[in-house]
Amino acid sequence: MIIVRFLIDVLIIAGGVFALAGALGVLKMPDTLCRMQASTCIPTLGTICVALGAILYAAFFKHSAADAVKIAVIALMIIVTNPIGSHVLARGAYTSAKREGTEMLLNVDDYGRDFHE
Amino acid sequence: MQKTRFSAVLSTFILCMLVWIVLTWSFSLQELAAGVVVSLASALFVSRFFIHEDAFRFFNPVKLLNLIVYAGTFCRELVKANVDMAKRVFGGCKVNPGIVRVPTGMKSDYGLSLLANSITLTPGTITVEVAEEEGENCYYIHWIDMTAESGEAAGEAIKGNLEKGTRRVFD
Repeated sequence: MIIVRFLIDVLIIAGGVFALAGALGVLKMPDTLCRMQASTCIPTLGTICVALGAILYAAFFKHSAADAVKIAVIALMIIVTNPIGSHVLARGAYTSAKREGTEMLLNVDDYGRDFHE
Repeated sequence: MQKTRFSAVLSTFILCMLVWIVLTWSFSLQELAAGVVVSLASALFVSRFFIHEDAFRFFNPVKLLNLIVYAGTFCRELVKANVDMAKRVFGGCKVNPGIVRVPTGMKSDYGLSLLANSITLTPGTITVEVAEEEGENCYYIHWIDMTAESGEAAGEAIKGNLEKGTRRVFD
């Protein structure tokens, strides 16, 4: 039992560390698209690690299968819905920066070459 | 828009019913009956937007097994990319960003969207656009640390393992 307890702690701390990395990245990265890249850490490994820890806790300490399955569904929903939002936000950020004439930090820009010239 | 087909309604109904059972987690007759009514209504309305191709694809055990194997591959790539991104954030934010055009061999709609979503979920790469040019599909991917400039090499670095896995599931 003590091993499971230890595993739960490790998982939740790891999730916290990845979420912190994402949040710090949002503050430190140089431009919009790079910030979005860093923030992808939060819904992926941040969520998965915390959810795994919570599932283990629900299964081994609360003995509640219902809670464990619900947490799994929450994690799955976040994973499935997140990329669609990211994709639309990235495209919106790119298009509005082009329209406003803002300088973007891009060393190669195939998208602008093919669609915005 | 296409017609509502019986197989599509049935498979959407099964999915809705599973979600209902998981979320309520009670097996009394009353709850289950309410679930059947709600699932059937939503399946009738939604199935024609939801399912365009073979409705019972994942009842084929080989495809299902490949999907599970793909989940494993994806998790490995996810951990690698997350650790890389965390190192980058804690170590001074060195970036070399760019949007590269990456051709892909995927044909089916589901395969294309699964691969695009997997790429977006990996930290370090975001799919900005999916386009079809001269019968060939390609992605425009924002990549935070370009190690290759040409399309094929970049594609191999970004989605080499993922594309092999998705192709086994959907093509």
